[in-house]
Amino acid sequence: MASIQARDLRYTYRGATAPSVSGADLDIEDGEAHALLGASGAGKTTLLNLLAGLFFPDSGQLKLNGEDVSERSGRERNIAQVFQFPVLYPAMNVRENLAFPLRARGWRKANALARVKEVATLLDVTALLHQRVQRLSLFEKQLVAIGRALVRPDVSVVLLDEPLTAVEPSIKWRLRAALKTVQRELGLTMVYVTHDQVEALTFADRISMLMDGRILQTGSPQRLYEQPHTAVVATFIGSPGMNLVSAQVRDQWFVVAGQLLAPAPGVSDGVCQIGFRPEWAHVRVDRESDEQFALPVNLTGWRAMGAVGNRTDALLTLDHGGETLFVHQSGDEPPPPQCRLYIDTARMVAYRNGVLLARPTGNDAA
Amino acid sequence: MQRRADNRAWFAVAPVVVVVAFTAIVPLMTVVNYSVQDIFDVDTRLFIGFDFYRETLRDPRFAQALLRQLAFSALVLAIEIPLGIWIARALVRNQGKSATGFLILLSVPLLVPWNVVGTIWQIYARPDIGLLGAAVTALGIPYNYASNVLSAWVTLLAMDVWHWTSLVALLSFAGLSAISPAYYQAATLDGANAWQTFRHVELPHLKAVLTIAVLLRLMDSLMIYTEPFVLTGGGPGNSTTFLSQYLTTMAVGQFDLGPAAAFSVLYFLMILLLCWLFYTSVMRGGDDG
Repeated sequence: MASIQARDLRYTYRGATAPSVSGADLDIEDGEAHALLGASGAGKTTLLNLLAGLFFPDSGQLKLNGEDVSERSGRERNIAQVFQFPVLYPAMNVRENLAFPLRARGWRKANALARVKEVATLLDVTALLHQRVQRLSLFEKQLVAIGRALVRPDVSVVLLDEPLTAVEPSIKWRLRAALKTVQRELGLTMVYVTHDQVEALTFADRISMLMDGRILQTGSPQRLYEQPHTAVVATFIGSPGMNLVSAQVRDQWFVVAGQLLAPAPGVSDGVCQIGFRPEWAHVRVDRESDEQFALPVNLTGWRAMGAVGNRTDALLTLDHGGETLFVHQSGDEPPPPQCRLYIDTARMVAYRNGVLLARPTGNDAA
Repeated sequence: MQRRADNRAWFAVAPVVVVVAFTAIVPLMTVVNYSVQDIFDVDTRLFIGFDFYRETLRDPRFAQALLRQLAFSALVLAIEIPLGIWIARALVRNQGKSATGFLILLSVPLLVPWNVVGTIWQIYARPDIGLLGAAVTALGIPYNYASNVLSAWVTLLAMDVWHWTSLVALLSFAGLSAISPAYYQAATLDGANAWQTFRHVELPHLKAVLTIAVLLRLMDSLMIYTEPFVLTGGGPGNSTTFLSQYLTTMAVGQFDLGPAAAFSVLYFLMILLLCWLFYTSVMRGGDDG
């Protein structure tokens, strides 16, 4: 297994006007599960192909375990890859598929089969070893494809390009769980490309969020969720994304709709945006206390999302002076049309020109 | 009541039955009819059972033509299938504008009428004035397709390869183009060499199109008539007389309709059997491809 350091990687497709990857820095530790998250066209697959040695960067440097491999092929980098759909050798059975990367590298048959048995046990596909791959379900095929990527014990990095795309939604979690288990047990360095934030948030130790060929933020799932560096990351992550409310800073206080919301120590005066997750706020009809900040809002929608305990978890759609806000709140009945919104000021974040305003909240370490 | 209404639907099939009967079944049964009777004139005929079949099967000239035919078909397949795959791979490797141009050029021979193909090669390979024939002769190689058996066979094979390899190449090109680049990437990362990539990635994915290609070339080469007829007329001697030409000589030349009919039925059954054997043996291997 290997660590990855990428410095200022750039890549432009032949004939394209804009670069697909423009200045990506990436630091992935040995044994880390890392997700590249972004919408289609964000450059995450291009970045993966640069790691895979399928493309070579126009400029920048890529190191594996401190060794410069920018100009080397994927085979020389000793990469393994899992693709969007199961890529298997159609004329071989499962055992032969799993053994192929070892046999192609000159392993002796007995050793290769012993290793295949280990990997098959790990992925729980021992019962399938004698089957022809045509007979397998899509899920099983992808499991075997993952097995083929893991079978070489000396592989440096396992790259996964949206590996759950082809699998039925109802069993995606099984494959994800299997993947996570082997990643942990074998201490594999994995880079996982996905546009699905739930996949990224549940699979990865750390996530790099990409947009327009740039990495906007790299951090733990919790950090990307709670302290997104930019308003773009804040609204991309979460379903629905983070609420942003127009605000101002005046005399080191955040001011929303003429009311003092929270202190803003060290922040210069000017416009900004207050950000809070749908579950970091709640709606009430009456004032809790005269001192506490409350934003007057109109209820425009109420949708039951499921149950928490014996209460309905609902998503409320609110209007505040033309800005649409979402709030998660439990309750069997929608609140009345006019109500007040209370924001958890200890967790809220603020952005100026789309960039996170540093707040001395204490948990700012990376 | 219900059942009666259902049966009337059979009338809807009647037109198809009539067409198929007059285009396939009746002509075939006519041939079968001729093959089991010795006909002297319109009113005088004698039922002789399988005598003509026995006669045909014991005829050494039939056996020779059959052997030549099998050898020709085997050689044609052995050359055209690998060559077609090789061309298709080269085209896929160098994709771009040139591939389209090559594909168009390649398909030109497929558009040439068969007797024209024969005529082209008859002139092209002539040792006195033909470009190919004269060039080979100038190199000091004894070459004359009209008098030398080896020359005749080589010319015939070259002609068929020129005429039909592009069919295999086009089909293989389509098959290869459908393989996702991910398979090649996976094979490279797995450490596969060029041969293993061909054997384990390309060939299995080409199975369906190659089955079609082999079937088409097998059937067509077993029925070859026009080109050797124009090029060599079956000679020198009978060295390039294949089944269809022998049959034509019998039926049209000697007017031996009875034996010719028996021959036709055997010929038809043989092609059917070979194609069936090939198809089932390929398909038994699995439903991949």
